Amino acid sequence: MRSDDIRRGVRRLFRLEVRRPERAGAEADAELDSFLDEQVRYLESRGWSPEAARAEGLRRLGGSLPGARTRLHHSAKHRERRMKVLEWLDDAIADVRYAGRTLRRSPGLAATAILTLALAIGANTAIFSAVSAVMLRPLPFAEPDRLVMLWEENPDFKWYQQDAAPANYMDWREQAGVFSDMAAYPSFSGTTTVTGQGEPRLLKLQLVTGNFFRVLGVNPLIGRTLGDEETWSPGAPRAVMLSYRTWRDVFAGADSLVGRTIQLGGRAVEVAGVLPERFEIPGVDVDVWQPVRWDPAARSAASFRRAHWLKVVGRLKPGVTVEQANSALQSVVVRLQHEYPATNTRMGAGLTPLHEFLVGRTKAPLLVMFGAVAVLLLIACANVANLLLVRAAGREREVALRLALGAGGGRLFRQSLAEIAVLALVGGVAGLALGWWGTRVLVALQPAGMLPVRDVSMSWMVMGYAFAATVLCATLFGIAPTLWTRRRVPADVLRDEGRTASGGLRARRWGEVLLVSQVALALALTLGAGLLVRSFLLLQRVDPGFDARGVLNVELSLPGFRYDSVHKVLSFYDELERRSRELPGVEAAAVVSKVPLGPPTWTSEFAIAGREPLPKGSEVMHREITHEYQQVMRVPLVRGRRFAESDRQDAPPVVLINETLATMHFSGQDPIGQRIAFDRLPDSTSTWRTIVGVVGDERQGTLGEPSRPELIAPYAQEPRSSMTLVIRSRGVPLVLTEPVRRIVADLDRNLAISSIRTMEEVRSASLARDRFLTVLMLSFAGVGLALGLVGVYGVVAQLARRRTRELGIRVALGARAGQLQWLVVRHGVLLTGAGVAAGLLLAAVATRAMRTLLYEVAPLDPLTFVGVPLLVLGTAVAASWLPAARASRADPCQVLRAD
Amino acid sequence: MALLKGTLDALVLKALSFNALHAFEIARWIEDGSAGEFPIESAALLQALHRLEERRLVTAAWGVTENNRRARYYSLTAAGRTQLRFETASLKSSVAALGALLDAKR
Repeated sequence: MRSDDIRRGVRRLFRLEVRRPERAGAEADAELDSFLDEQVRYLESRGWSPEAARAEGLRRLGGSLPGARTRLHHSAKHRERRMKVLEWLDDAIADVRYAGRTLRRSPGLAATAILTLALAIGANTAIFSAVSAVMLRPLPFAEPDRLVMLWEENPDFKWYQQDAAPANYMDWREQAGVFSDMAAYPSFSGTTTVTGQGEPRLLKLQLVTGNFFRVLGVNPLIGRTLGDEETWSPGAPRAVMLSYRTWRDVFAGADSLVGRTIQLGGRAVEVAGVLPERFEIPGVDVDVWQPVRWDPAARSAASFRRAHWLKVVGRLKPGVTVEQANSALQSVVVRLQHEYPATNTRMGAGLTPLHEFLVGRTKAPLLVMFGAVAVLLLIACANVANLLLVRAAGREREVALRLALGAGGGRLFRQSLAEIAVLALVGGVAGLALGWWGTRVLVALQPAGMLPVRDVSMSWMVMGYAFAATVLCATLFGIAPTLWTRRRVPADVLRDEGRTASGGLRARRWGEVLLVSQVALALALTLGAGLLVRSFLLLQRVDPGFDARGVLNVELSLPGFRYDSVHKVLSFYDELERRSRELPGVEAAAVVSKVPLGPPTWTSEFAIAGREPLPKGSEVMHREITHEYQQVMRVPLVRGRRFAESDRQDAPPVVLINETLATMHFSGQDPIGQRIAFDRLPDSTSTWRTIVGVVGDERQGTLGEPSRPELIAPYAQEPRSSMTLVIRSRGVPLVLTEPVRRIVADLDRNLAISSIRTMEEVRSASLARDRFLTVLMLSFAGVGLALGLVGVYGVVAQLARRRTRELGIRVALGARAGQLQWLVVRHGVLLTGAGVAAGLLLAAVATRAMRTLLYEVAPLDPLTFVGVPLLVLGTAVAASWLPAARASRADPCQVLRAD
Repeated sequence: MALLKGTLDALVLKALSFNALHAFEIARWIEDGSAGEFPIESAALLQALHRLEERRLVTAAWGVTENNRRARYYSLTAAGRTQLRFETASLKSSVAALGALLDAKR
């Protein structure tokens, strides 16, 4: 503020003019008239006649009188308008400076408010980055709204949104007239080894139909995309598309790579093109895309309609809605049901917008986290509002004095706004920085594949969200103190002299409302976290059915072109197992087609000899093991025997069943000795296998899912090329890593190991998503609760301060410290109790959204709903006790003399 | 002789540097001081005052004249004072340069 500039309030006070452009014209006229008057008077005093003086005045005007008036009107109006803006700016700058000064004068408050805001906005920004990347950003394809995922359903098998059979896909593609085209890819992906580029590297391979990239509308970065004919002409040379990452990392990003051949899985294939960096299919991680090959002649084969393994992506014709497409699809489905009664009688189909299908699974946890940070933001707002309110109450005399001295209420309002703006701006910027960092941490720490998209970063949308959150927050925490400032009557405040407790009553009411809502929100948040913690603890305690400690597993995949006979595959794994077993410190070693707690293996229906066919949909899981598997994993044998080394190809076919299968299908009878085939309706080609033993259940998928019925065959009787070596070590299993690597390299120098992990890591990884969500939620709740407690402390402390005199009198009259403390604490406890009650109601509704995230814990879990409120109440009592204790220790003499 | 362009502003500021004045007093100060050498166009003077006020070199307030009439009194601001020093210096050097040119012998 410049000293020469007179403030508007002062102007009004001293009846000086206020900027009013609309009055400028009249003023300019008045000034001109007064000028001419003075001039006439002066000339008359020098002896001019009135007429001559008047004429002389007009002559010296420098133009006609109306012309001069117009010019002066214009310049005066211009001046007023400009100065109005300048004065407004001056005021604004002064307000902001004033706000800065007041905030600097109470650095504790400013720091707390800014930190609170920064934390809340940072957490919001980070979570929203994920939400926007996964849920709001369109898929990186052309016109993604026209893409749908087509799937099959079958009530007999309780199938919903399942993979399609290739023949059904082909019929849909040809017969439903509403699609521009339809592509498909297997729901599984494989691996392949690239050689001739230094070390052999294992790449993730995804098969797709040749038209896949055209359907998605993706243009290659370089080269060409695949063509439909590459799927349908079996003799055509093989070509692949590379992901941007593979092209850059494995092939050094050479443009010349296009059209050249590379060695992939021992075969020479042509590189057709490279996909753009942005291209990805959410949830599918791929290095190499290769056309699936179908012989048009094989289309009528039964397996083409019986095996369901395709994800089908369709592009709707322009203008076709999802509903129209669905009804067109249904008519094809009905036709197929009649045409192929053996396979399709009960086979339905449906479609879902592609984006929804791909990211749908991630929605629930993301939205729950988003809800949590939104609640956190509200708590932060309430907290800052309360801080400001407490401060405003402390400053009420200053404010009243300024009002009495003529400061405009509007100006005080503006100053209060400026303070809020400064806090919000600094808090918002700090929050954005924190959010940027938090987003990176979130992406780095997320369990593999939790966020199905690669690029999670701050976008303009995220910035916009952070800005909106800041503005919302500023509005929320600004309302209370400013409204309060506006409504105070200065005379009341000045009369109060701070002697009675009535001063700031309204501020206290506001503060109490804020506190109750803050506690309610914090409680709801903590309850949410409590539910997740309970669920996680239960999950962690689940017995997976095996002993993970001390087990190392090594995944291997033998390339088919070199291991082209059962004999070669078997002898590789036999030798690997034998040599591993001989390593020092190894207790047992086995080879298994898949360790538990991971993606499913293959499943099939089955038949039990001498029984009616089982109902459709009675599926079992399959695994293949060597004889020491149960010793390695310490899976108990319930009945019968384990496999022996002698259960080889030439021995009679045998099988183990798990307990679940035994109870489901052999309750009350001895399964040992009964025979099983892997088809629902066995024919002459089916193999009957004798059950030799019942083994304990292992959790095949996740710890949260119950064990499914399982058939376990001796590996030698059902060989596979991709197997996992499991070794039980007497000591730390990772010590075996190097020796095992050496054995593998010794057996096959060109074999890449897919992964080496301990079984504990596998177990831990299967809990990763739950752990991550729990920790995240817990930290949000921790921050929320801490803010809530600060609020409780603040309100109670303020109350204690206001009642110091009263307490002093009570002490003087002989009250005991305990009684006084209770007087103060009671207030905090009552408020917290109200907040807890409100929070319980809120949480009862809100936690329903968490149902899908919980394991064996109801959204209204009694333990959590009792324990957490008690915790909150307890800590609130503690937070109230501090100021209460201080107040009760006050020396009555000093307190009473203080006024 | 007419005033050089830009000189009017400087003279107005100078007039106000002693005292707060209304527009006619400023006009008289200039005309009297220059012995009528610089006649002032009234409208131009008032416009100059509006302009100076807009630039915050002067402030204005309504007051009462010796003749008991309402008039707008102008006074110099700190910024106006600085501006006056600056314009004085530059005008003086211009005038000196002008004089030197006009006195030139060849």
